[in-house]
Amino acid sequence: MKKINSILIANRGEIAIRIIKTAKKMGIQTYVIKTAKEPNAIYLNFADHICDFTERFDEIPEFLDVEKLIETAVQYKIDAIHPGYGFLAENPYFAQRCEEEKIEFIGPSADVIYKMGNKTIAKQIARKHKIPLLEGSKGNLANADQAIEIAKIIGYPVILKAASGGGGRGMRIVENDSQMEKNFRLATNEAEKAFNDPSVFVEKYVRNPKHIEFQVLADKMGNTIHLGERECSVQRKHQKLLEESPSPALTEDLRKRMGEAAIRITQAVKYYSAGTVEFLLDADGGFYFMEMNTRIQVEHPVTEEITGVDLIEQQIRVAQSEKLTLTQDDIKINGWAIECRINAEDVQAGFSPNLGTIQKISLPKGEGIRIDTGIESGSVITPFYDSMIAKLIVHGENREKTIEAMLNALGKLRIKGVKTTIPFCKAVLTNKVFVNGTFNTSFIEKDMEKTYFQEKDEEMLAAFFATYNYANEIREEKDTWVDHEKGKNIDPWLLNKRLR
Amino acid sequence: MKLSFKKRSSSEPVKYITLGKDGKKYEFIYSPTDGLRVNSKKQDIEIIDDADGFTYIKFKNKKFPVEVIEQNQNKFVILINGVSYNYTVETPLSYQRKQIIEKTMKKSKTGFVSAPMPGKIIEVFAEENAIINEGDVLLILEAMKMQNEILSTISGVVKKINIKQGDNVNKDDILLEIRQ
Repeated sequence: MKKINSILIANRGEIAIRIIKTAKKMGIQTYVIKTAKEPNAIYLNFADHICDFTERFDEIPEFLDVEKLIETAVQYKIDAIHPGYGFLAENPYFAQRCEEEKIEFIGPSADVIYKMGNKTIAKQIARKHKIPLLEGSKGNLANADQAIEIAKIIGYPVILKAASGGGGRGMRIVENDSQMEKNFRLATNEAEKAFNDPSVFVEKYVRNPKHIEFQVLADKMGNTIHLGERECSVQRKHQKLLEESPSPALTEDLRKRMGEAAIRITQAVKYYSAGTVEFLLDADGGFYFMEMNTRIQVEHPVTEEITGVDLIEQQIRVAQSEKLTLTQDDIKINGWAIECRINAEDVQAGFSPNLGTIQKISLPKGEGIRIDTGIESGSVITPFYDSMIAKLIVHGENREKTIEAMLNALGKLRIKGVKTTIPFCKAVLTNKVFVNGTFNTSFIEKDMEKTYFQEKDEEMLAAFFATYNYANEIREEKDTWVDHEKGKNIDPWLLNKRLR
Repeated sequence: MKLSFKKRSSSEPVKYITLGKDGKKYEFIYSPTDGLRVNSKKQDIEIIDDADGFTYIKFKNKKFPVEVIEQNQNKFVILINGVSYNYTVETPLSYQRKQIIEKTMKKSKTGFVSAPMPGKIIEVFAEENAIINEGDVLLILEAMKMQNEILSTISGVVKKINIKQGDNVNKDDILLEIRQ
């Protein structure tokens, strides 16, 4: 067992801060990367040491530069690298380079990342270990005609997926033969661009499934447990927007069976560290293995809240070859937790990125409220990284109370300067289908009449405020011309406006 | 701060007609003695600036966070509770003029296809002078690593293409013009 004394965090934003918090608790020194794109980002303030990458500026993120990162870790004699999520988190080459340079990669082995990252291989392994699967092509497709042939056997709709994919990129649903050619081209293009690998495969598409994933944890000796499920069915274009744990759809029996399947595949590949096994769950309780994410996930806090386990701490302990002290019996689900992703996006304009400066942010406080964020008042939302600016997590006694507490917290979370997904999250939490728990992955398209929450009188009040500003402006113009009005009391709002 | 306008030399009430994008229409009467009235009814609306730099409208015992996110003369984008609303504030005279202009505008039939989000042009399928139908794929725009098909909302002839493959575009940039 070799103790980790220092960690280089190959990531930014909230997850960098999240990792630093645990590292501090464990007495580990942290190193972060300062980039020219975000030289004033607040994650830099939390770390013990800053590695300066500001001399470079190109479109490729610094956090994808394998050799520079390895070189930095060697130069500063850093024991381990935590990749966070995204960027190099699931890049087997990066993990392998760490292994070669005797730097502990906080995550599973390069071999496992490769196997599970390649969906074709992952499915072969799952099939071998009798994990239920959706059938499709046995491997990657050579062309659209081959996909049409397979679709004839398994039936439409089918889905084209990038073999190296994730996060919804390189995925296309195809309803009939005539759509295949175009979608095959789009999927391979996207796959090539996003993952530098154009290979795609095809499989049966289950309409209206629930997306349920299991958090697993394993050590290097093969001890493996699961920490319950996360319900991630609220998705737009395969991007998660709101997650909860547990799922309202799972019975104790189903949880047991799905959890066992998750552990089985985890052990089959000799996985260690924290990981996530994703399943599709149909309305009849049938579940199908989709993929395994070999990293810490954005939505890990909901699991932490209901189990009380610090997943980053567990990752670090496993990385320094400690034996898991938790057993399956230790894992108890306590209450309910929901996470809302607060993205700088314009929900009213099809969730398009809304860049700008956070002029002001005011966070809700209180029992059961957790906020993981990498921004503060004055932070700039750049086009270089993803649009997530904060995660609001609420932990409560049961689902009903947690939904209510989350709505309350969202009402108190105020952000001035950019539009965010807050009105979307409110619309989800007040939606009947969401509240009764029967929603699935087509929830946003099918069950949401409006993707943003509007309160009564809002429209009128907005018109009022526009008119109020206009009337004041007209009056202000007049004021400057009419001499005898000067020297009178000026209302503070107007004064404030003039001073600006 | 109570919303009340102080006396000024002219005591004539002024009328404003405030128009929303979806045809919503509100009339406000501003008078030096009564402040701003909604559709000639007096409403108890209060505007509060708090110490943290947020502005709220208080109405029926509820607080609505509000800000002006865009203003171009009499055109406003108001963000209230995180939801934006577009309004144009008109006087009775300018409203009349606007209606006349809109009538003449309807006669011209050029449609503009603008970028729904900032991104990069991956592929352009449309060609100048080509006849296209509603729903045809004009181009592919990549934003946030997703490739999005931009479809034509009208049928007609492609008059002008303002972009080429590899261009970076901003939201609302006019990508191409189509004549019906």
